[in-house]
Amino acid sequence: MTKSAATFLRDLRDEVESHPGTNHMFLCRLAWVPFTREDYLVASTQHYPLVGTFTRYLEELLLRAPTSEAKSWLAKVLVDEYGEGSDGKDHRTLYREYLVAAGLQGFDDLDTPLHKDVTAFVFEHLRIVKEEPFLVGLGAVGPGHEWSIPKMFPPIIQGLRKSGFSESSIVYFTLHALQDIDHGRWLEEALLLNASTSKAQQEIRRGTLLSLEARERFWSGVQDKVTRWRQPQNVHLRTQARGERFSLRSMAKEGLKDQLVRLRPPAQELTLRQLRAMTAVDKAA
Amino acid sequence: MRILFVQPAPFEPGRLGLENAIWLSEPAAFTSLAAMVPDHECRILDLRLEPDSALNRELLAFRPDIVAVSCMTTDSYQAMAILQCAKNTLGADKVFCIAGGHHPSLAPYDFHQVSIIDAIAIGEGEDTFKELVAHLDQGGARRKLQRIDGLCFFDGAEWVTTTKRAQSRSMDSFPLPDRSLLKKYSGSYFFMSAMPMGSLSTSRGCAYDCNFCGIWEFYEKKVRFLSAARICDALEAMDESFVMFLDDNFLTSQKRLEELCDEIERRGIRKLYGAQGRADFVVKHPELMARLRKAGLTLLISGYETNDEQGLAALKKSSVADANKIAAKMLNDLGIAIFGIFMVRPDFTHADFDFLYQSIDEMRITLPIITIHTPLPGTQLRKLAQGNLLTEDVRFFDLLHAVTPTTLSREEFYTRFTEGWAKREWRNAPFLDFVKKRPDFMKITWRGLIHLTQMLVRYRPVATSPESHLRDEIGIIPADLTVLNAREKATDKAPIKTAPLPSSSKGLRIISDQAAE
Ligand code: B12
Ligand code: SF4
Ligand SMILES: [Fe+2]
Repeated sequence: MTKSAATFLRDLRDEVESHPGTNHMFLCRLAWVPFTREDYLVASTQHYPLVGTFTRYLEELLLRAPTSEAKSWLAKVLVDEYGEGSDGKDHRTLYREYLVAAGLQGFDDLDTPLHKDVTAFVFEHLRIVKEEPFLVGLGAVGPGHEWSIPKMFPPIIQGLRKSGFSESSIVYFTLHALQDIDHGRWLEEALLLNASTSKAQQEIRRGTLLSLEARERFWSGVQDKVTRWRQPQNVHLRTQARGERFSLRSMAKEGLKDQLVRLRPPAQELTLRQLRAMTAVDKAA
Repeated sequence: MRILFVQPAPFEPGRLGLENAIWLSEPAAFTSLAAMVPDHECRILDLRLEPDSALNRELLAFRPDIVAVSCMTTDSYQAMAILQCAKNTLGADKVFCIAGGHHPSLAPYDFHQVSIIDAIAIGEGEDTFKELVAHLDQGGARRKLQRIDGLCFFDGAEWVTTTKRAQSRSMDSFPLPDRSLLKKYSGSYFFMSAMPMGSLSTSRGCAYDCNFCGIWEFYEKKVRFLSAARICDALEAMDESFVMFLDDNFLTSQKRLEELCDEIERRGIRKLYGAQGRADFVVKHPELMARLRKAGLTLLISGYETNDEQGLAALKKSSVADANKIAAKMLNDLGIAIFGIFMVRPDFTHADFDFLYQSIDEMRITLPIITIHTPLPGTQLRKLAQGNLLTEDVRFFDLLHAVTPTTLSREEFYTRFTEGWAKREWRNAPFLDFVKKRPDFMKITWRGLIHLTQMLVRYRPVATSPESHLRDEIGIIPADLTVLNAREKATDKAPIKTAPLPSSSKGLRIISDQAAE
C-alpha cells in the first residue's frame, strides 16, 4: 500500500535523523572528547572536499529536473548555497576561514592525502545525480543532506566551542545548522508534490539512503585520519581498510572535471600517477 | 523494559590501551546488574569488540528504554559519546540514559550533562539499578528519583544527590552474574595468553589505603567477601578453564582463602586462576600460597613498590626490597607467573629509572607492567596534585602519560619509560621458566598464545615508542614543559585546561602521515 506523501516524508525524516550516518560515533565523540585544533585541522582537511561539491550536485540535478517546480526549488537552494545572505561569503570562503583558525598554513596542507571514503563520497554523489533517476538524486541531495546536516552539525559545534574556537571562525557550521533547516523545509514542499506514488517514494528513499551510507563511511574515514595522525603506527583501528591516494589539490584541480569523474569510486590502491593516467584515457575517449 | 548495557571502548579508536594486548576483561558490572532485573529484556554491547556502527544498529534494532554505560576515568568521554548517540538516535525523551562505575561515582560532576544523562549511579549498583528499573517500569517520572538511594539526577532545576547507598549487603545475597548475555563474545576475553577467560569478583573493597587508589574510598574501607561455596557455584557455572578474579586485593583473609581451597578440592574443580594481591601477603603465607597454587592459582598481579607516597624510596629500603625479592622467588619457585606493577613517578631522574629497571631484573618478574604514578580522581594523591595537573583530559589518566610535570624533558622521560617495556618482555628468562613449570597452563592456552603473538607484533612498536606517547600530547601538554618551567608556562592558565591552542605542535606536519599509508 502506498503511503500518503505526508506519511512517507515523516517516516523518511525519522529514518534520516536516526541513521548511523547522521549519528556517527565520530560526531558524538567530537561533542565530548576535547580534541585539539590539530585534530580539527586533520578532520577538516578531509571534510573540506565536500564543501565545494554540494553545489555541483545541485547543478547537475537542476539540468535534469523534469518539472518547473523541481527546477525552482533546486535553484532556490542553489542561490542560497552560492552564498546569498552570508555577507557575500560563499561556503568555501567561510570554510577556509575556519581552516585557518584550525591552523592551516599555506597551500601545502592541501596535499594531505584524502581518505578513500572521502573521495568515494564525492564520486558516489556525482554518480547518483548523473546516472540515477532524478528522484534518486533528489533523495540524496535533499533528505540525504538537508535533513541530516542540522542533526550532524550541533555536536561538531559543541566540540569546536569546547576546543576554544571563536564564534566568528565557525560560522560555516553555525550558519549551516540553521540554513539547512530552511532548505529542508523548502525541500519538503517540493517533495510533497513528487512523492505520491510508490515508485517515487522508493526512488527518493533509495537516494536518501545511498547518500547516508556514503556519509557513514565518510565519517569513519575522517575519524580514521584523525586517530591515525596521532598514532601512525597503530594498526588496531576498527574502521575500514585505507588506500586513499587523492589529495585535495588534485581533486580541486582535476578531480571534479568531468573527464576525470568516472562516476565510480576509485579502486583502493590508486596512486595520483595512475589517476592522471586514467584522466588521459578518459580524455582520449 | 528493554535495557541496553554498553561497554565503551576506552578511547577513540587508534589509541593504545591495556585492553588491546594485556587484559581484556568481561563487563562484569553489567552481568551483575542484569542479574538484578531478570524480568526485563537485557542486552550487552561491548564496543571494545565491535565496530562503532554496532551501537547505531543495536539502538535501531532493539530500541531500548534504558541505555546504561559503565566507565572508569579514562573512558568517560567515550561513555558520554555513547549516550549522545543514544539520545540522538532514539530521541531525548524516548530513552533513559544512565552512567555508573568508578569515574561517575568518584567524579559525578563530570557527568552533569542534562542533554545526554538522566541519572548517575554512585557506588555499588545492584540495588540502585533494580529500584530504578522498577520505578521507570511502573511509569514513575524520570525526574522524580529522590526515593532511590545512590543516585544523582537532574530534577528539572538542578542536580540532586540522593541518600548514599548503604554498601553493606552481603555479597552472597546477590544473584550470580548473568553471563548468558555475553554469549556472543564468548572466547574473546583474555589476560595475555590466557584466553578464553572468565572473570569473577569474589570480594569488594580493600582494607589498605594506598594514596593513588580509589578502591578503598569507593567501598568506604569496608571489605566483603563472597563465600567459598558461592565462588565455587560461580566457577562451576563457567565454561572457561581460566578464570581471573577481579578483586583488587584477592589475597586478604587467610581464613577465606583456606576455605576456598578446601571447597575447590572438595568439589574437584579443575580450573586455573589469576588474581591481584600484595607481595607482603605472599611472604607472610608461604603454605597458603602453595595450597593456592595447587588449587589452580597460576598468575598473580602485584604492585611492587606502590604502597605509599615514598614509592621508590620504599623500594630502596632493604626491608621492602628483600620482601619483594622473597615474594618473587617464592612465586617463581611455585610456578606462579608474576605480573609486577611498577610505578614510574614523573619526578624520576635517569638514576631512578636505572635503579628501578635493575630491581625488576633482579626480582625476576615474569612480566613487569610499568605504569606512571597518576593522580586519579577520588584519590588522596589527586588532592595533593590538584594545583600541579597539566591536563584534566581524562584520556591521559591511563597510567601511560605523565599528567604532572616531569623532571626529565618529556621526550627523555618517555624514552626511559618505554625502555622498560621494550627491554623486559615475554621472551625473557623468567617467562621461559614459567612456561617450563606450567605445562598445564600452556596446554589450555595454546590458542591464546597465537592471539598474544599477534597482539605483541601489532602493539609492541607502539608501546615501546616514546613518540606514540608524545604524539598523544600534541596540543595538550607542551613538549618542553618540565618541573623547572611548569609554573612560568602555566601562568595564565593553571592548570592547563584541556585542548588549549597548539603549543607543542613544533615539528608537526599535517601531511606527515604519508609514511603510515
Ligand atoms: C577488570 C579491570 C579492568 C579491565 C577492564 C574493565 C572493564 N570494565 O571491563 C582492564 C584490564 C582493561 C582495565 C584497565 C584499566 N584500569 Co581497570 N580495573 C579492573 C578491575 C580490576 C575490575 C573491574 C570489574 O569488573 N569489577 C567488578 C564489577 C562488578 O565492579 P564495578 O565495575 O565497580 O561495577 C559495580 C559498580 O561500580 C556499579 N556500576 C558500574 N557500572 C555501572 C553502570 C550502571 C548503569 C550502574 C547503575 C552501576 C554501575 O555497579 C557495579 C556492581 O556493584 C577494577 C577494580 C575493581 N575491583 O573494580 C579496576 C579499575 C576499575 N581500573 C582502574 C584503572 C586505573 C585502570 C587503568 C586506567 C590503568 C590500569 N593500569 O589498570 C586501565 C585503563 C584502561 C583504558 N585503556 O582505559 C581503576 C579505576 C579508577 C578510576 N578512577 O577510574 C580501578 C578501580 C582499579 C583501582 N584500584 O584503582 N581495568
Ligand atoms: S592499591 Fe591495592 S592494596 Fe592499595 S588500596 Fe588499592 S586495592 Fe588496596
Ligand atoms: Fe544547504
